[in-house]
Amino acid sequence: MISDPPGVVAAEDAVTARPGTLPMRVLLVEDDEGDAFLVRELLLDAGSDIDLVRVRNLAEASGAIGADVDCVLLDLGLPDATGLDGLRSVLELSPNIAVLVLTGLADEHRGTEAVAVGAQDYLVKGSIDGQLLTRAIRYAVERKRADESVRRLYASEARAAENARLERGLLPQPLLRNNWFRVVPRYRPGRHQSVLGGDFYDVVECDDGAVFALIGDVAGHGPDEAALGVCLRIAWRTLILSGADPDAIFGAMDAVLVSERSTDEVFATVAMVRLDRADRMLRLWRAGHPLPVFLEGTTVVPAPVGEPGVALGVLDGHTWTPVDRPVAMDTSLLLFTDGLIEGFDGHPGGRRLGELALYQMLAELLQRGLDHDLLLDELLIEVRRRNGGELTDDVAAVLLTWADRE
Amino acid sequence: MDLSLSTRTEGDRTIVEVGGEIDVYTAPRLREQLVDLVADGKYHLVVDMERVDFLDSTGLGVLVGGLKRVRAHDGSLRLVCTQERILKIFRITGLTKVFPIHASVDEAVGATE
Repeated sequence: MISDPPGVVAAEDAVTARPGTLPMRVLLVEDDEGDAFLVRELLLDAGSDIDLVRVRNLAEASGAIGADVDCVLLDLGLPDATGLDGLRSVLELSPNIAVLVLTGLADEHRGTEAVAVGAQDYLVKGSIDGQLLTRAIRYAVERKRADESVRRLYASEARAAENARLERGLLPQPLLRNNWFRVVPRYRPGRHQSVLGGDFYDVVECDDGAVFALIGDVAGHGPDEAALGVCLRIAWRTLILSGADPDAIFGAMDAVLVSERSTDEVFATVAMVRLDRADRMLRLWRAGHPLPVFLEGTTVVPAPVGEPGVALGVLDGHTWTPVDRPVAMDTSLLLFTDGLIEGFDGHPGGRRLGELALYQMLAELLQRGLDHDLLLDELLIEVRRRNGGELTDDVAAVLLTWADRE
Repeated sequence: MDLSLSTRTEGDRTIVEVGGEIDVYTAPRLREQLVDLVADGKYHLVVDMERVDFLDSTGLGVLVGGLKRVRAHDGSLRLVCTQERILKIFRITGLTKVFPIHASVDEAVGATE
């Protein structure tokens, strides 16, 4: 089947997925009438199931190349492109389409050069028959598809490696010297991405036995935000381990964020707690982050609001003031990022979950007497169920419990 | 996942009326709008958020970015919002200290430093 120049391409052909049985669409870019006629005749003679569209030069070709084209047959002697430049332009226009190059007998060497540049194969005019041409086209298309799959495989492997690297950076091993605390962390990336987003957490125990925990969220989603999250977490761990004044830590992290971010829109919310085993006191610093909650028996109590500090990366010269609260032995602390409360609440009208519904869910789970690992798992399942599927945003949650509780 | 945007001028103030959801998918359109206005010499913006149903951290980032852009030209970015659930987001993130938030467009337009 051979049709006439572009314009006759049926619109539905352009958007329909093409099972193997449909004719292949080949775009012939050839200025010479005789050569174009010959290609047509060869394909006709061979009874090929190929739908040929012919254009005369590169300019016309750029208008005719689309998702519906399986293969480009390209003459190397076009009026508006010399030598391999034409091929380079076509490859740029259609990186996913197979390209076969036509050369004359005298310049067969250009064929090998063309393959080196990226063509699937070359054919020498005058020394091909219809069968060979048909086979060459089919082979080129199949090979291009195979190359594409390999390329995608490499890309997905590279992404997996990148994920693993970011995951190690974002989701660390808690640094605990003693077993006074149990730390149960959970992380789920949002559904829109295959790499991690910018949520992060960390837990570090100091020489004096105090345990510091951090949770944070770099606004936005994607590898840049994830990398910045890693950066902030490492900065935090370094500051804690070096014994920096806790009241100065957010200021230092703010400076790190401002100097490392890609655009000045990027900000981060963080919350940091210091838990002292000796006096069972908790001190909370908050920079724009959702309130952590205490789980006391079967009761859920939000942490004191205190003076809400501004998120990191927003204001120059801001200072963050902590707030204190006693923490009983049977109390656990849940730190989380806003992904946990921004899902839909499961009721008609598309309302968002919000803190209150989260507190209620937690209270119900506590009444079931679940172990803390299970509690977080069940909570994430319930939040996703209410949302009607995977959450849009990333979620990080860390549950801290006194390990020596009765 | 729908965002509606419209702008109008009152004196030297440009009012940007935003409706729907400002999230990771729609925030780029709001950013584009704010960038265009600043490029156009509009440095005193009032963003009317009364019809906003949802605002996530990407959306907040765009507003913060917008504020920085107008401030670079000695401009202002005021918000109009009376919805508790949206106000809560500004409170939690501490951004009530950064954005002047007004109860009506008239109040925002009439406000001076």
